[in-house]
Amino acid sequence: METYQIYSLTSAVLFVIGIGGVFISRHFIKKIIATIIMGGGVFLSFVSFADRDALAFADPVPHALVITGIVVAVASAAFALALARRIYQLTEEESFTNDK
Amino acid sequence: MSVLIDILLAILVIYLALQSLLAPRLSQSVFLFFAFGLALALAWVRLGAVDVAITEAAIASGFLGVLFLDALRDFSPRSSEEQKNISTVQNSRSRNSVKSLLLPRLSLVLGLGLFLLIALEAVWNIPDGGGLAADAEKLLPQSGVEHPVTAVLINFRAYDTWLEIGVILLGLLAVFAVGKIQIYRKPIPVVDDILLRQVILFFTPVLFLFGAFLLYFGKTGPGGAFQAAVLWGAIGILLHLGGRPIFLLIPRWLGQLLLTLGLLFFLILGFLFIAGGATLFEYPPAYAGVLILIVETLAAISIAAALTAMFANLNQMKKEESNKIDSTN
Amino acid sequence: MIKEVITVILLVVGCFFFLAGTLGLLRFPDLFSRLHALTKADNLGLGFIAAGMAVYIASPWVAVKIFFIWLFTLLASSTSSYLIARFQKEQEQTKNRKE
Repeated sequence: METYQIYSLTSAVLFVIGIGGVFISRHFIKKIIATIIMGGGVFLSFVSFADRDALAFADPVPHALVITGIVVAVASAAFALALARRIYQLTEEESFTNDK
Repeated sequence: MSVLIDILLAILVIYLALQSLLAPRLSQSVFLFFAFGLALALAWVRLGAVDVAITEAAIASGFLGVLFLDALRDFSPRSSEEQKNISTVQNSRSRNSVKSLLLPRLSLVLGLGLFLLIALEAVWNIPDGGGLAADAEKLLPQSGVEHPVTAVLINFRAYDTWLEIGVILLGLLAVFAVGKIQIYRKPIPVVDDILLRQVILFFTPVLFLFGAFLLYFGKTGPGGAFQAAVLWGAIGILLHLGGRPIFLLIPRWLGQLLLTLGLLFFLILGFLFIAGGATLFEYPPAYAGVLILIVETLAAISIAAALTAMFANLNQMKKEESNKIDSTN
Repeated sequence: MIKEVITVILLVVGCFFFLAGTLGLLRFPDLFSRLHALTKADNLGLGFIAAGMAVYIASPWVAVKIFFIWLFTLLASSTSSYLIARFQKEQEQTKNRKE
């Protein structure tokens, strides 16, 4: 078993964990964490295939894409966090509920 | 032996991801998320992607973790008794509706299991495309830098990087829009703790120097604009926590200039290339090294300013709320 | 050969201190003694691991870098544990005042 195969299988598992977390977890912050874990799975699959295609050095294009991707994911997570905190300030709700 | 380490690391990453979603308390899940980011950074080191590992540890684990920690104080002001009440209410509710919840839960589990199988199969059988490593290797001498990842980021795929700086700026604007921009210029109290102040004063030049080191050595090895930007952004966050919010101390136009500098210079450079007869972001090989260094420095300044402003704005949201509670009391 | 032996000994000692610190984190009753176990044992363990790495790489320039990494980690971890302890103390004081 090669190194990249271990991590590419891990990436699939992480992505599914993230999707499940988005559905199952109730709190806003946990939902945001779940999306970040999902993104982590995607990035891990990119980097593991960059390792597979390595010649003198690992394929740099997926590395660059993943670096930009991480920064964009963090920017969007910060926006989601701002939204969540605003919702909490205005309505005192921590999750999407149909109760009221 | 090395396969064993990889398997252990993979299991650790999966375990931490699961636990950070299943942990009963919010603070636990945030701290496990920190650990998840660091374990993922280790996985990237194992895959030979040191740049990605630095970025992950600094931004996705460090900066985002700081934002989550800051948000935790917002979300947990309730006393434990109230939380107990809520959980008992939820328990009784779920006991009443356990039959109506059974079907959706079952279908969710089945769907996720099916999805997991499809994802594993897809990842296992992904076709061998060969990648772009050979092309990157061939063009590396023309790019002006020696490190392939930096060459791809700033030279070969500069368009992506340029727009990405734009996306960060857009995210900052969205945070501003959500968080009421007028409270942003309210002064915050100076921290009275002398140890914290001295440590922050000590770490400011150290972080600046380390960021500049990463920026300069991005030319030859792992490092570059984004890693440097996070370290410089950490300076801004530390100074903000120490009671010296940078964006209040400098004039407003200077703050706006710092935020947009990277995007603007990148754009002007691209149009200058077009005016000179080349395509957008086609660096002339003779000056590529110098131009890339300037672009990286300005982009790092912009991203650092944007990260600091994001943190400052989110932190001020908390301040406003606690003031409101104080006034009602 | 001797270099590898020294490296392994230093790394094992470092791991032992980390293990002790983690054990203290899990087993000690309150926050202050947990912080005490964590900061002391972990910083010492990190020092041993850094020394092992420096011996293994055997280059003076890298050794200086590793030394500075250890120094900054010491500074940051001691300050953060001090802040955690201060926060806990303030919370306990406000709780006592309420009662």
